[in-house]
Parts: sequence; C-alpha cells; structure tokens
Amino acid sequence: MDSDPDEELLVRVARGDPAAVRALTARKLPRLLALAGRMLGEVSEAEDVAQEAMIRAWRQAPAWTPGVARFDTWLHRVTLNLCYDRLRRRREIPTETPPEQVDQGPAPDRGLEAADVGRRVAKAMATLPDRQREAVALCHYQDLTNIEAAAIMGVSVEALESLLSRGRRALRLALSDLMAP
Amino acid sequence: MTQERFLELADAHGGTVARWPAAEREAAATLMAAAPDFAQRVLAGADQLDGVLDAWAPFSVSHALNRAVIDGAPTIHPRRSLRTWLLGAGVGAGLAGASAAGLAFGVALSGNLASTTDAPEAVSAAMTGYDDLFETSEGA
Repeated sequence: MDSDPDEELLVRVARGDPAAVRALTARKLPRLLALAGRMLGEVSEAEDVAQEAMIRAWRQAPAWTPGVARFDTWLHRVTLNLCYDRLRRRREIPTETPPEQVDQGPAPDRGLEAADVGRRVAKAMATLPDRQREAVALCHYQDLTNIEAAAIMGVSVEALESLLSRGRRALRLALSDLMAP
Repeated sequence: MTQERFLELADAHGGTVARWPAAEREAAATLMAAAPDFAQRVLAGADQLDGVLDAWAPFSVSHALNRAVIDGAPTIHPRRSLRTWLLGAGVGAGLAGASAAGLAFGVALSGNLASTTDAPEAVSAAMTGYDDLFETSEGA
C-alpha cells in the first residue's frame, strides 16, 4: 500500500490539534456529503450521515493503525454503512411522500437547464439497485480508481465492473432523451 | 485489446480513458491508434453519458454542518482551559479590577475630556485582549 496521505493529519487530530481538525474537515467533509447525497438523494439525511461519519473519524483517530487500510477507504466505508442503515430504515418504514429529491437550485454559473438535468439524473440514480448506485457513486462521482472502489465495496474488480456496466446502462436508458441519438 | 473489451471498458468506466483501470490504459491507447474511428465513436458515446451525469452537482457543505463537525472533534482548547483556570484562581477578577481601575484613573486624568467608553466595555475589551494572548495559530 502507498503511504496514506491522511496519516500525518490524523496523528495531529489525535493530539487535539484544532488546525488539523479543520484541515481534515475541509478535505473530507465535502466528499462524504457528496457520497451520502448520491446514495440518499436528500440533503438533511446526507448531512446527518456526513456529520456522523466525521464524528466517527474523530473517535477513530487516536486508535488509527497506519498501514492496515487507507483512512479514506475506511471513511468511505463508514459513510456507505450509514447510508445503508438509512436506506434500510426507509424500506422498513415506508413513507407516504418520497424523500425530498435533490434540489440544487440553479447556481450562478449553471443555467436552469443544468439544474433540470441534474434533477433528472438524481431521479434516475435513485431508481438504480443500491449496489449499482454505489458503484457509480464511487467511480464516477467520487473519482476513485476501480481498485479503491472495489476495496470499499468488498468485491472483486470484475464484480465492480459488472455493477458499473449495468448501472450506467440503466442510466443511459433512463436519460436517453437528454443525449444526442 | 479487442474492440469488444474496449467497448466493455467504455461502458463501465466512461469516455475518459484516464479514468479506466490503470492496467488497461496502455492496451487501450494501442487500440485507439490502430482503430481511431472506432475508438472515437465509442468514447464519444460514453462521454455523452458522463456529461449528463455531471449535471448533478453535489450538495454544498453549509456553514452549520462545517461548524457542527469541527465542534464535534475532541480538540484541546488552550485558550478556554487556561482562561477557566485563571478565572478560577481569581486572576481574571484581578485583571478586570485592574482594567476598571486603569480606566477610572485615565478618566480622572483627562478631566474635562468626555469619555464614550464605560467601565464594563473597558473590562470586556481588556478580557478580549487577554484572550488574544492565548489564541492558537489556526492556519491549515
């Protein structure tokens, strides 16, 4: 395993260094929130998950053993486990109204059209089976390598590729009207 | 690499070969050189889907979330602990008294000069300056 780029910060976090806490938050929180958002599609749930994952990171820092796994891999796995807890709860307690879908709101640099497309993508992602959505979230959106994503998901790279193919094929079908023939 | 394998990779990993599995990229580049029209057509198709997927922007981290996460960390706050200790030891009261006394002395000296600063504000200002002595460097 290559050296862990988060290791030095973790050591400082474990010592209670506030600057390291802020640096690790800036590095990880946006990525965890993005991942939880892709998996859950709803902002307040995604925020709860990202916050809980970071709290677990703070608890883990003093006990972190370098060289066993990358901290980022561990943190992604924690976040995904928390997402699956939420998804399971949703299935156990079906609600009358589906969870509020992603509402990006058109940012100054994105037109209304991009926001509409974004909403369509969110909806299409929400219809994917969980493991396919996870594979697309990790590889496409989190920009992880196939080896990293497979490690996080606990599958072989071949199985990951199969999940990705099926996920992307379903997305292509659902979003085909947004693409040139 | 066969054309079929090239298609499978584009299907799974999208239209940017740099994001494909590292072990497959060199063979992919060889195929792209040998069959550029085929490769371009396949990659353009995968690119289209990538572009649509990218329209879904991630949630942004709110100030409240950022604050909650940072506050949840078991950090050491030297300023707070030292201040608490000093106040507990009566030094804070001494400092406040000294600040108030200094202010009163200054006002008495200035005589006919009108002061817009009252004693509690001066005490507060003194304590703020005192706090600053214990601010930790917060550069990341």
